[in-house]
Amino acid sequence: MRLPAALDWRSWAVVRRNARVYFRTWHIGLLPPALEPVVFLLAFGFGLGGYVAGVPWRGEQLPYIVYIAPGLVAYTTFTTPYFQGLYAAYVRMHYQKTWDGLLTTQVELEHVLWGEILWAGLLGALFATIVTVVLLVCHCFGILTLTWTAAALIPPLAFLAGCAFASLALVFTAIVPSIDHMNLPAFLVGIPVAVISDTYFPMTSEHPVIIAIVACNPVHHVAETFRSLLVLGHPGANLVGLLATTGALLGVCAPLALHLLRRRVLGER
Amino acid sequence: MSDSARPPALEAIGLTKRLGGRLVVDAVDVVCAAGTVVGLLGPNGAGKTTTLRMLYGFLSPDSGAIRYHGRDFVQDREAIKRTIGVCTQDDTLDEEFSVAQNLAIYAGYFRPRVPDLAARIAGLMDEVGLTPFAAQRPVTLSGGFRRRLMIARAVVHGPSVLFLDEPTTGLDPQARVDVWRLVDQLRTQGLAIILTTHYMDEAERLSDRLVVLDRGRRVTEGSPREVIDEQIGEHVVVVHADAVDAAAFHGWLASRGIALPAAVLGQLHIPLRGAQLGEFTAAFPDLRFTVREPDLDDLFMRLAVRR
Repeated sequence: MRLPAALDWRSWAVVRRNARVYFRTWHIGLLPPALEPVVFLLAFGFGLGGYVAGVPWRGEQLPYIVYIAPGLVAYTTFTTPYFQGLYAAYVRMHYQKTWDGLLTTQVELEHVLWGEILWAGLLGALFATIVTVVLLVCHCFGILTLTWTAAALIPPLAFLAGCAFASLALVFTAIVPSIDHMNLPAFLVGIPVAVISDTYFPMTSEHPVIIAIVACNPVHHVAETFRSLLVLGHPGANLVGLLATTGALLGVCAPLALHLLRRRVLGER
Repeated sequence: MSDSARPPALEAIGLTKRLGGRLVVDAVDVVCAAGTVVGLLGPNGAGKTTTLRMLYGFLSPDSGAIRYHGRDFVQDREAIKRTIGVCTQDDTLDEEFSVAQNLAIYAGYFRPRVPDLAARIAGLMDEVGLTPFAAQRPVTLSGGFRRRLMIARAVVHGPSVLFLDEPTTGLDPQARVDVWRLVDQLRTQGLAIILTTHYMDEAERLSDRLVVLDRGRRVTEGSPREVIDEQIGEHVVVVHADAVDAAAFHGWLASRGIALPAAVLGQLHIPLRGAQLGEFTAAFPDLRFTVREPDLDDLFMRLAVRR
């Protein structure tokens, strides 16, 4: 019986290769997720938070620093795999010819694609975990107060969501003419999706279009689920939205990216 | 099973491929037995690389069949790819890793795993002269050593069929000879080798059989000598272009169905069959010319003229 490509040893061989490269300089690679939340907590939590009395969330007022702390985890869960799928995958495909080398082995293009998706998802989960650990340290020092009973759900949910975000990025990687054009999916898609999502501020508009956009935005469901986990101690109703939107994104984008990459990498029409 | 009853290492029948709406390869057959080298030969755009890419599974043919050791490539793709080694025209070395790591990591892309990999890598590096550079990154190697590493990487998992796409393009003469020795060594070890090249001397020296392609079609096939005899003849007459009476000369060639050759640095190289040499001498008794043995360059020039 043929295994799904995501479970095939060949996809995981690609993951191993990317991980080996990444962790050769782990002390550099892991700095951003460790330092970024500290900087953001200082800047937004204490800086901007000093001007904000509280943020309304599910009928209660949260201190702004408590509101954005889970948002930082969600933001990392989105941006890490998304930018891996955009820039890092493009460099491996186009400049380093890593994919061409892989395709001379038993590894097929679908395994290369799933290897990239899984690797980006794992890196996203790792970064989200590091940010969560930094928040835990902040909690221990009394900087902010969060609930930790269900925090262990963050890594697997971040992995699933990260795979979906990477698959979206790989659709763009398959079609951009050059690395300079990556600015289009990075800034016209990535940044708006990351910001219009309840990560750093609540989307309280009652306009039906805005409500629909937010409801369809998987980053919104990731942010709200993580906020429920870290404030209330359970995933809340947004978990269904997280699973539905990221599942749908992965279900659409992974086959689409494969189709487009067949054209780009193999020259098939 | 006797050698003659055993299926060839590679047998491709009627390979056809369209890319971007253009017919790039048109019903090409390639057969290669163990311990032999088949050269795919032809000018740029002849369809060599596309044919090779179909053979090693990078591209799917629109029609045609590919069998390795009698097994269908479509039906048994994963297992067959375990037995194939590929050295592409472009360097695809993993610059993130050292020479030895390149071999180890590449071997990791095959199942069943390569037995006793550390010893295999050490032996292979020794064989191709890369041991002193084992810990270096590929970017620090010269072109010739990078190519050796590409070839070593292509055989690290012990394939029975090896594809070499223009293995010496861009190398200096010494590095080319080193690669030739390496290819010959691999042939002696029993590998079936399919190579593309546009260096005629390379094709002639390395190949047991040639498949000559032009505009996606097979022009001819056979040993280098058979191909030359069939396509060119036994002699090549070399004359200065400005020494001939153009009208008489062109008329004589046309009457014998010989295409007017292109002048190369002011010289015309005219392929002639055995009896035609005597007729030529009789027709142009006052003309100063030299006669030489034909080679594959003449075939290449003939294909270029046809274009």
